[in-house]
Amino acid sequence: MASSATESEFVTLVSGDGFEFVIPRSAACVSGTIRRMLEPSSKFAEALTGRCTLENISGIVLEKVCEYFCYNEKNKNQSNVPDMEIPAELCLELLMAADYLDT
Amino acid sequence: MDNEVPLPPPRRIRHRSPTKTPVASGSSLRKTYQLSRFDDRSSQPSSDPALFSSDDIPASGLENYHAPGPSGSRKRRYRGTWWGEMVKDPKRKRADFKEKRHVDSGVWMGSDESGADSLLPSEDPSMWGEELLNDTSDAATVTMTQGDRSTTHSQPWPQRSGLKKVQEPKEHQAARNIVNECLENGQDSVDLSNCYLKMVPSGLLRPLQHLTKLPAIVEPPVTEDVYSSLQPFLRLFLTGNSLQSVPGELFELGSLKVLSLRYNKLTEIPPAIRKLTLLQEVNLAVNRLECLPWELLWLIKKGDLKHMVVRPNPLMQIHQAEIAQWHSPAGTEPDSPEGTLKLRDYEGPAPEEAWAPIHVATGPVRRFNMEGMPVDAPASASQPAPQESRVPSLREASLLACTRSVFFDQVSDDEMADYPGLILRLLRQAKDVWSGGGRSCSVCHRSFVIARTQWIEWWDCSTYENGLKGPRCPGEKLRPLPFRRFGCSWACVPNAETDQDGQDDMAL
Repeated sequence: MASSATESEFVTLVSGDGFEFVIPRSAACVSGTIRRMLEPSSKFAEALTGRCTLENISGIVLEKVCEYFCYNEKNKNQSNVPDMEIPAELCLELLMAADYLDT
Repeated sequence: MDNEVPLPPPRRIRHRSPTKTPVASGSSLRKTYQLSRFDDRSSQPSSDPALFSSDDIPASGLENYHAPGPSGSRKRRYRGTWWGEMVKDPKRKRADFKEKRHVDSGVWMGSDESGADSLLPSEDPSMWGEELLNDTSDAATVTMTQGDRSTTHSQPWPQRSGLKKVQEPKEHQAARNIVNECLENGQDSVDLSNCYLKMVPSGLLRPLQHLTKLPAIVEPPVTEDVYSSLQPFLRLFLTGNSLQSVPGELFELGSLKVLSLRYNKLTEIPPAIRKLTLLQEVNLAVNRLECLPWELLWLIKKGDLKHMVVRPNPLMQIHQAEIAQWHSPAGTEPDSPEGTLKLRDYEGPAPEEAWAPIHVATGPVRRFNMEGMPVDAPASASQPAPQESRVPSLREASLLACTRSVFFDQVSDDEMADYPGLILRLLRQAKDVWSGGGRSCSVCHRSFVIARTQWIEWWDCSTYENGLKGPRCPGEKLRPLPFRRFGCSWACVPNAETDQDGQDDMAL
């Protein structure tokens, strides 16, 4: 079980209010915090199960965060990066989340 | 018949109201009343018969169709009534009018007010103002109660609500008066020099973008130089104040042609100066500038900037600065400071490069992390390769969304202090950038808040410093100026810029 989770291509991010987001591992590792959580050598529970619970991030914000992860993954090697739409009411919470996730 | 009319009609009305009544009596009584009432209101003192210039009068036909003039399509003009009567004798006209008064023309000649009257909320015009007053006083009481209620909760609210007007410093009022005067007189040279301004109050410069010149009235003999353009040649002089920063508002004046910030206390010119694409002359002398924004160079190369005064300023000197790469022109020995600091000899007419700015050297690139903190080792092993991508960080993206949102400028510093400390520093930085007019990456032109790379480019612009009076002499010593460039991502570095710039040049 543990070995299969570390090799798994996808990880699950769980928000504080219980929403689950399944995203590619490489995309989630854009965040320094999640990358360290999922480090196989760390033997953290997250690394073993492939499931990160982010207590202080609400579902709405985490959805936008996941959107950013995929946006980052998609445009990583492009020279002309389009802008990502961020609604004004979310930007402060996203800023907090970004600080926490170190992205 | 006449008893529907509340007052005995004036003499002229007499022959009109009976004309109307037969039409109206068929429909309804109410309508009759309205018609006669309109009549009363619209009755004007009798005036001269109107001048008409039309062919399609009701009585026109073959019998009174005059032979057309030489032009053929000329409209007939005559003075008289609309049903085609010519005025021969004022007294005779009166008689004719009385004879014809029973003929129903079928045309309702109600005045313009007839339609508008029914749309107005109040019948009595004297009431209109009062209604408006009531509305505003209602609104005022609402804000008053809001203000009262909030005073119990927090102190700073009443000042922000606008009920209590904060007294403006005298020098700001004086500056506003000068700006208003210029706006009223259509004067496009705005002189705010020596106004003792420590900062430019908000809203002072913004109206200037709508400045229009007034046409000058010149006594007759009219010569050709009387005709001048009404397009304002906007000049703004903020000389001799104590400004410590340039307000972002200044860069909204897209039509600004001449800008003088001489003799202030500026430590930095915001990169937003790039928005002043029509700028022709700029004076930044006697300030505290250590380097210039790279966007100024962009204005020289791609814009209209012809004259730039930047000395004296405590500018960085190339001899003391760290240089990563010397750009020597082809044909000279590479990477030698002496070779590049001298213009190549030329014979005959001055080549283009004797006029154009010359790229002398590039300083080392400083990199910053996502927090905007300097990173010492630029390409150490701890930094993985994906960091080189051009994708903005989530911090950057959300900060940019913050600055673009409407509420951002309404957040006061006091309110900001309540935000969590983690993001406070970033938000403060975003606010500084925003009030300076925003930044855009000098390589990929994306807007950004936190610079990720920064480097100095040394360019010699001596021809532009003396206003393009003459080319450089052969073998002249170059005096390069430091221009600071910002990049929005770690991929935006000098090497990346060369091909981008090349593309830009090709496109232009």
